[in-house]
Amino acid sequence: MTAQTITAAGGAAGGAGPGTGRAALRRNFWRGVWRVLRRKPSRMLGAVIVAGFALMGVFGPMFYPDHLPRDTAALYAPPSWEHPFGTDFEGTDVLALLITGSRYVLLTALVTAVITVVLGAAIGLFAGFRRGRWDTVLMRITDMKLTIPGLPLLLVLSTVWKFTSALEMGLVLGLLGWGGVARAVRSQTLSLRERGFIEAARGLGLSTTHIIGRELLPSMAPFIAMNMLISVTGAVYAQVGLFFLGVLPFDANNWGVMLNLAVFGGGAMSSPAALPYLMAPLLAILLLTLGIVLVVDAMDEIFNPRLREE
Amino acid sequence: MTVLIRRLAGHLARGLVMILIVTTVSFFVIRSVPGDPMAAKYEKLVEQGMSPEAAQRAVEVLYGFAPSGGLWQQYVDYMTGLFRLDLGQSLTIPGVGVSTVLFSAAKWTILPVLAGTLLSFLIGVILGVYAAVRRSGRLGDALAISGSLLHGVPQYVLALLLMAVFTTLIPILPAGGTADIMYEPGLNAGYIGSLIEYATLPVLTYALASYGGWILAMKSSVVTVLGDDFILAAELRGMKRGIVFRYIARNAILPLFTILALSLGTLFGGAIFIERIFNYPGLGLMLIDSITNRDYALMGGAFLLITGAIIVANIMADLFYTVIDPRVRGGEGAP
Repeated sequence: MTAQTITAAGGAAGGAGPGTGRAALRRNFWRGVWRVLRRKPSRMLGAVIVAGFALMGVFGPMFYPDHLPRDTAALYAPPSWEHPFGTDFEGTDVLALLITGSRYVLLTALVTAVITVVLGAAIGLFAGFRRGRWDTVLMRITDMKLTIPGLPLLLVLSTVWKFTSALEMGLVLGLLGWGGVARAVRSQTLSLRERGFIEAARGLGLSTTHIIGRELLPSMAPFIAMNMLISVTGAVYAQVGLFFLGVLPFDANNWGVMLNLAVFGGGAMSSPAALPYLMAPLLAILLLTLGIVLVVDAMDEIFNPRLREE
Repeated sequence: MTVLIRRLAGHLARGLVMILIVTTVSFFVIRSVPGDPMAAKYEKLVEQGMSPEAAQRAVEVLYGFAPSGGLWQQYVDYMTGLFRLDLGQSLTIPGVGVSTVLFSAAKWTILPVLAGTLLSFLIGVILGVYAAVRRSGRLGDALAISGSLLHGVPQYVLALLLMAVFTTLIPILPAGGTADIMYEPGLNAGYIGSLIEYATLPVLTYALASYGGWILAMKSSVVTVLGDDFILAAELRGMKRGIVFRYIARNAILPLFTILALSLGTLFGGAIFIERIFNYPGLGLMLIDSITNRDYALMGGAFLLITGAIIVANIMADLFYTVIDPRVRGGEGAP
């Protein structure tokens, strides 16, 4: 591996490098990213898939009317040029359902990921940096959160609060999901705070906010970013699962609603004709997972020089 | 030994606090359900001509605690009921206690999940060793990738895929239920065969969904041990490959046992999606049904049982680790 990319990654991770060389470092960093992506085409594919889903969520629903047209003459139509994934039990195009539903799914996942990461990183940093009593209390709470199983808790919660809107769903999943990130960030903080550069910062008399914001956080940024991507997949699974189980009212169309209707309402299990309707959301979930896994793999190598192959 | 006892005491105290929290949460969830089903039921009974006291008692039986009185009084009633393992009565199956309903459902969850866990553990551990030793080879790489993919895919996606393949496309396995109704339940070959046939898809799904985690954990554990100095030392001393392998295996499997003990906590609540999809009448399906039927006493009980199992498994896992790993037993365990 060339020294160039290592300094580039170090510059991106260190964050506190001299201000003059920063632009050059950043340029080198993007060159490093490009090189890592190019070395394995699968990683490029991952980036393309994730970007494709993002575009689909943002722009996709704009191409469709609010009420999707129904073709009552073609219930459960097989895949064709007109309907690439066939039609559902009402004759609606499955691809249209998939695309209009993706906005809800991805928006929720984004809200969840942001809340998870912000809360988790804040709590983990605070506990790991302060140590002492606060650390003990916060980690006890985190342990308890990690012990209570998420899905049953969500099911029980759904009886009191119908969190169907994308923001509410994201809020619930985020508030329930920060435990793992907090744990991991705390242990990273504990190991980083003993390193030379933090000690040097403390010796220089820099403020705690400076040390946390400028020294600790940038070193952990890649790690936190990876956690954010992983929590996106978790959020997609959880919300699709909740709608699939049918414990929440179906206010808007999304992949979970599609799955529920396909399996329990549309009888996709009894007739092979309805299989494309069932398979479309499943394929979308699998493809999104694959994309995110590949991107995380690429990020791992960009930010972790030890993993790079010579 | 004193270390062990101290840890056990600490864990038990923490477990009790957790159970207290969980029951409190489910109490307040049941209390704050929109429309207050208990008050509604109470008023309905009074309207039907029941005396207020009798109506109150009837509702108390149904929900596990009295609808009137202060919130605190209700809470204390509910908790003392729990202490006597009295979880109230199920609404959907009248006259039967919630605990009876729960325990009859539990067997349909425990057996398939246990079978699935053990199956995936064995296969995952064996293939994990192979993937670690041959990690630069093609097959090792493929195994690791298969592990990552299966680990990443949610249970319900796997369940739906398997169901679509084996019940719709190639209909060789039954789509749902526990056994064919034409067989008399009991110890006869037909019934048992039918049980196994009906459990195949749920167990297979569970095993596939957890296999990825095992192979990845075992692989990383073996890779870590392979880099340890004592392995290098053993090789330098010219020890036989078999003995070195035993060194590796003994040290690498240790963390896996902890994960296994932890995963036994999901014996009760780990198959919610699978049970819903294959219509398998375990605890997960019971939890969902209780929610759709607004049977809150049953819901609270199922939630408590599922969470309690995880708390107990956590305690067991930690104690087990203390016993099995001398490094922790030394008393310098992590805070």
